[in-house]
Amino acid sequence: MTTPDGLPTEAFDHALSTVDAPAAIALVQGLLDDGVDPLAVLVDVIAHGQRAVGDRWQRGEWTVAKEHAATAVAVSATEVVTRFADRVPVTRGKVVVACAEREWHALPAMIIGTAIRLDGWDTVLLGASTSPARLSQCLHDVGPDATAVSCSVLGALPTTRRFIEASTTAGVPIMVGGSAFGSDDVRARALGATAWAPHAQGAVDALHHLPPVVRRAAPLPKAPMAEQAAIEVGHQRLVQTLRDRWSATTTDGPATEVAREVPHQAVHAVSAALLTGDPRPLAETARWIDHLLTVRGADPRLSAELGDELATALRDYPAAHGLVRRHWTEGLVPQGEHAR
Amino acid sequence: MTASGQRALRVDPVDRSVLGDETAATDHELLAQAQLRVDLAIDVTSALTGSLNLRRTVLRLLDLITPRMADWAMLVLVDDAGGLDLHGGSDPTYTSGVPRALVEGSGLDRVLRSGQHELLHVAMELDSTGALGTMIPDPRLRDEAIGLRPADVLCLALSARGSTIGALVMIRGAGRGFPEQEVEFAGLIADQASLALDSARLYEERGRITSVLQASLRPPALPAIPGARVSARFRPAAEHLEISGDFYDVHGSDDDWLLVLGDVCGKGVEAAVLTGRARQGVRTAAHFDRRPSAVLGALNNVLCDNDSTRFVTVVCARFRPSPDGTSAEVDVAVAGHPAPIVVHADGVVDQLDVAGIAAGVVRDIDYTEVRFTLTSGDTMLMFTDGVDEARGSDGFYGMDRLLALLPAYAGAGPVAVCEAVEQSVVEYLDGRAHDDIALLAVSCER
Repeated sequence: MTTPDGLPTEAFDHALSTVDAPAAIALVQGLLDDGVDPLAVLVDVIAHGQRAVGDRWQRGEWTVAKEHAATAVAVSATEVVTRFADRVPVTRGKVVVACAEREWHALPAMIIGTAIRLDGWDTVLLGASTSPARLSQCLHDVGPDATAVSCSVLGALPTTRRFIEASTTAGVPIMVGGSAFGSDDVRARALGATAWAPHAQGAVDALHHLPPVVRRAAPLPKAPMAEQAAIEVGHQRLVQTLRDRWSATTTDGPATEVAREVPHQAVHAVSAALLTGDPRPLAETARWIDHLLTVRGADPRLSAELGDELATALRDYPAAHGLVRRHWTEGLVPQGEHAR
Repeated sequence: MTASGQRALRVDPVDRSVLGDETAATDHELLAQAQLRVDLAIDVTSALTGSLNLRRTVLRLLDLITPRMADWAMLVLVDDAGGLDLHGGSDPTYTSGVPRALVEGSGLDRVLRSGQHELLHVAMELDSTGALGTMIPDPRLRDEAIGLRPADVLCLALSARGSTIGALVMIRGAGRGFPEQEVEFAGLIADQASLALDSARLYEERGRITSVLQASLRPPALPAIPGARVSARFRPAAEHLEISGDFYDVHGSDDDWLLVLGDVCGKGVEAAVLTGRARQGVRTAAHFDRRPSAVLGALNNVLCDNDSTRFVTVVCARFRPSPDGTSAEVDVAVAGHPAPIVVHADGVVDQLDVAGIAAGVVRDIDYTEVRFTLTSGDTMLMFTDGVDEARGSDGFYGMDRLLALLPAYAGAGPVAVCEAVEQSVVEYLDGRAHDDIALLAVSCER
C-alpha cells in the first residue's frame, strides 16, 4: 500500500509498530536506491511514521517503552539516510545541530541535521539533552556558520534560551524549531533566536538567509524572568504540591499512572509562557492534558481542576498566577461538550 | 598627490604624534563622534571576547568594521606555514590564501614586516589598480576594491604579544577619507582585535593537538555485529570535554565478539589516558585468548606491572550469535565491576551472578566466568557506577530504581534500553554534577 505520492508510508508504519528495524532499514534503503528524494524519505516517510508513534502513546494505545522501541527503529531508518547524505559533497559552511538540556527527542534533530547535510552543509550533531557548556565548547572548536536547535518539549525552552545566549555571545546565528515553539515565530523571536523554522524544508531555506554574524541576544524582561527562575528552582516542590492536591493523582483512576507525570508539563507550560510572553503554551498544555486523560477514560473535569490547583500553588507569583487564571481554560471545551 | 602627479598614490607612514586635525566641527558634532567611537570600542571589546574560535573572531571583526569604520575591509593573517590567509571583502565569509612570496616588496609586505600602519590616498582620476594591488594580493578582492573607487586605503598592522600576526586593510570612498584622529582610533581598535585574534589562534593551535588526542581517547564508533544489535551511551562528568574515565569497546569478527565496558578510578584527562591503555590491553590480550576470564587476567597483570596506582574495573563479555540471529552464547567475567543486567523478553530482569576483584590491584587473579544464552527479545545491559551512584534529591539513584525501570523495556531492544536508562538517570540528577556514565547494551538481531 502506498500513498498518492507513491511512498510506502503504511509499510514503514508497520515496521515501526512491530519494532522491525531490519524491515525499516531495508525499506528506506530501497527508496534511496530507487532515487526517491531523500528529503521526502525523511519527512514524508520517517517523520510521518514517528508522528503516528507519538499519537499512539498519546491515545494510550502504546506504553512509553513501546514508544521508545518504535522510535529506536525510526532512528535506525534515519541513519540510513544520514549515511546517504554523508556522500553529498560539502559545498556550504558548517552547522552545529543540537538539543538543549531536558530535550530527549533526538530524532527531530537527526532529521533536521540530515536535511541540512543533504543541502551541502557540513554538520556536527550533538545528541539529546546537551549542556550549554558542551555547546559552547563545540562553538569554540568548530566555529560554525550557524547553530540549529530542535525543541519539542516546553520544558526545554529555558535551556534553549541558554543555547541562544551561548551561540549569540559567540556571534553565531541560531535557528530554532520544533513543536515547543508552536506554529509561528513569536516564541522564537521572544527568546532571541535569529530565525525560526516551521519544518525541515523551512530549516533548509532559513539557513540560506542567516546573517554571518549576530549580536548577543538582548536580556529577557526582568520581572517575568525572576518568577520563572524561582518557579524552576521550586519545580519539584510545585509538582509534589500538585500531586498531593489534584484528584487525578490522589485517587486511583484509569489514568492515574500517566497523570503522575502531568504536573511536570503544567509547570513547564507556566515557565514557557513567562519566558516567551506568549500565553498559548498554557491553553495548549491544558488541552493536551485533557486529551491524554479523557482518552484513558478519566473524568473530563480533571484538566480544569489541575488549572485551579496550579493557580493556587502559584499564588505567590503574580504574573504566573494571572497567566494560569486567564489562559488555562481557554484550551478546554466547556463542560458537557466533550465529543468523545 | 605627489608633486609629479604621475603616481596614483601617496604613501603616508602614519605619524602617531600628530594629533588634532583642523576641521571646523562643532562641539555637538565632536561629542556625537566621540560617542560613536566609545560605542564602537565597547562593541569591539565585548564582541571579540565572545568567541575563542579564529574564524568566528575574524567574521566578528569584519562585521564590526563595515560599515561603521570603513566601506570595505579585508583581514590578512599570517598562517603557520608562512603563507597569508585573506578574509572578507564584500562577502565576510570569503577566504583565500596567497604565498608570502607573492606579496614580497608590496605595501602589505612592508606593513607586515615593520608593524607600522600605512595610509594611502588614491588618486581618483588615475588608474587605482597599482595602489590597491600593493595592499590587496587577491584579484577578486582587488576588483571589489577598485569598484568602490576608493579615496583612502588604510593598512593597519595587527600586532600582539610581540609579533605582527597580520594586517587589516580598510577602504573608504570619496568624501569619506580617514582623518588623522580616525587613524589613531582605528589603531586602537586594531590593537584590541590583534589580542583577540592572537588568543583565538593560540586556542586553535592547542585545540588541534587536543582534538587529535581526544579522538583517540573517546569511545570508538560501534561496529555492526552480524546477528546482533548493539547500542551505547556515554556521558562524561565533564560533559563538554567529551572524555572520561569510563570506556567501552566492541571488537571481534564474524560470530565471535568481545564487548568491554570499564571504569578507571578517577575522572577527567588523567583517567582518560589510562582508559586508552586499558582498552588496548584488552584488545591485545583477546588476540591470544578470547575467554573473558583470560582477558581480564592478562589485563590485571599488565596493569599491576605498571607503576600507576590507579585501578580499573571492567566487565568483559564474549558474544557469539547464532547464524540465524535469534540467540547468542554469552560468557561474562567482571573485575570489580557491577555485573551486567539481563532484561528478558518476558519482563523478568536479573543481574548476573558473577564477581571478581578490580584489575591493577593484585597479580595473578583467576577470574571466574558465567555462561548463559541470550535469546530473542532479551537485552543485556552493561553499565558503570555513574548510573547507580548518581546522586539526586533522594540520595543515590540505586540498583533498585534501575531494576524497577527496566521490565517496561522488555523486548524494546538495546537502543531503547540505553536511552531510557540515560534519560531516567539524568532526570534524577536534575542538573546536579555526576560521575562519568557509560552504558553498553546488546541483543540478538531477531
